[in-house]
Amino acid sequence: MSASLAVELPGLRLKNPLLAASGTFGYGVEYAGILDLSLLGGIVTKGLYLEPRDGCPTPRIAETPSGLLNAIGLQGVGVRAFVKDVLPRLAAYDTAVVVNVCGDTVEEYAEVTRIVDDAPGVAAVEINISCPNVKTGGMAFGGDPQMTHAVVSAVRKATRLAVIPKLSPNVADITVFARVAQDAGADALSCINTLLGLAVDVETRRPRLAFGTGGLSGPAIRPVAVRMAWQAARAVRIPVIGIGGIGSGADALEFMIAGCRAVQVGTANFVDPGVYARILAELHDYLDRHGLKDINAVVGTLSFPGEAPAVGVHS
Amino acid sequence: MPANRDAPLVSRVPLEGPYTLLTFRHPEVATEGRAGQYVMIKAGTSADLPLRRPFSVMAVDPRAETFTLFLKAVGAGSRALADLRSGETAQCLGPLGRPFSAPPEGSEALLVAGGYGIAPFALFCDELQRQGRAARVFYGGRTAADLQVRAAFAERGVPLVPATEDGSLGHRGRVTQPLEAYLDGGATRPRLYACGPDAMLHAVARLAARRGLPAEVSLDPWMGCGVGTCLGCVVKVQAPDEPRPRYRCACTEGPVFDAETVVWPGEESSLARRRGLEKATA
Repeated sequence: MSASLAVELPGLRLKNPLLAASGTFGYGVEYAGILDLSLLGGIVTKGLYLEPRDGCPTPRIAETPSGLLNAIGLQGVGVRAFVKDVLPRLAAYDTAVVVNVCGDTVEEYAEVTRIVDDAPGVAAVEINISCPNVKTGGMAFGGDPQMTHAVVSAVRKATRLAVIPKLSPNVADITVFARVAQDAGADALSCINTLLGLAVDVETRRPRLAFGTGGLSGPAIRPVAVRMAWQAARAVRIPVIGIGGIGSGADALEFMIAGCRAVQVGTANFVDPGVYARILAELHDYLDRHGLKDINAVVGTLSFPGEAPAVGVHS
Repeated sequence: MPANRDAPLVSRVPLEGPYTLLTFRHPEVATEGRAGQYVMIKAGTSADLPLRRPFSVMAVDPRAETFTLFLKAVGAGSRALADLRSGETAQCLGPLGRPFSAPPEGSEALLVAGGYGIAPFALFCDELQRQGRAARVFYGGRTAADLQVRAAFAERGVPLVPATEDGSLGHRGRVTQPLEAYLDGGATRPRLYACGPDAMLHAVARLAARRGLPAEVSLDPWMGCGVGTCLGCVVKVQAPDEPRPRYRCACTEGPVFDAETVVWPGEESSLARRRGLEKATA
């Protein structure tokens, strides 16, 4: 009998702790013929506004050491087209659909959330207050505690679904934002979005991305992400979903041991569509080797130097 | 359907300079791959350069379940592929993207290649021969060493017109010059297909528009995923009935596009749109 990988967040049951991160998995259906979507605990959609968006000019991506710098700018079909055309197709799969909601104003976040709330087959709402590649909303909201509170409160009032703000790492102290989001009614937190970066083409002396700066993702950011998710998890009572450079079972376990209840896989989706099957096998192997029957037994078990050994949540 | 596999390298043929022919075993690409389609491929699992790279399928052998890539090593990612040894595997997803469309009966296919843009045309010539269509290749580069794999077309009995900027092989100058000369000589319902650097593709698109010829171009932007999720490879495209250009994924809606629908750098709208508006106001 293999170990249980199921995890539970307030209002959101996942059959395993692996979700596809927003912006790295399209709307899910793009991968339908390439991998079995039912392998995933959940899918977080590309960010959605009320209306379709063009996004940033090109070039939009640049490969950097162990990383990917991007400024896509939330190109998307808009929430109504998603609900009408895409959501029904996702119903065929045994996986939780989490919709990433965006807005240029607090009211737009709430309006997108109300449309999602009315739609069948949505498990939760992730709030994008951390995209570094838009001029309004995004990181501009997620970098200001009052705006963070305003957006999370407005989304909270607009839905009965689980509400999960996705926090920006581009702040001095993520625990401030974690607590503000919790106080505003968040059910869980996604930590972290991309790190603001700049890559320069030395021949032309121009940025390598047309937008100028971009968001850095991939293995390069993993230690920063684990540290910030760990800080956030210690600062709040609600669960944290860890994100940042996860491409293996060990990577996922780093976040979970540091206190995350679930994790999201991002850039690795581009690198290898077979990543979920591999991570699941590696998680099972780890639990077997450690004589554990439940993945929850590792959550928050990090023994940090100078601190008493942590006790697992379920052990 | 595209399949994601560890594809073992079956053979490796080093060519002049940075060029190599690599043949991998991958049943889906070998049996379903069409000219103009590509694979996303990476040697090894190193995190240092995370992304796979797109390469056109140059040839397929369905019975051996293999396909061949024509690779120019330009950076660390392509060099790692070129350095693979027989039996080692590459992570490979394919076949991907929109292929070239078949020319109608009685129509002559003129294939315009720049440098390693020659890759998809070997497979295309196989398809054209099966369909009984005439083909002719115009192959341009800076110098003779850039015009590799010409033998592949000689073997297929397809005429090839070389052009080099330094005059070291064939016509001295741009590849569009012998193409224009051939068109002036009276080609039979010609249809243009182009793959190569953006400047060459743009020149072919302008030439085709000027002469009222149908043309398809294969674009080669940076790609992150190959399946339409990263939105990193988008290009501006505009159909005649679209009031403004829209970003389309080169990876899934291309890499082959109708030349007149592409909005080229420095232009506000597509040729197709401008012509449509001219007709509407005429």
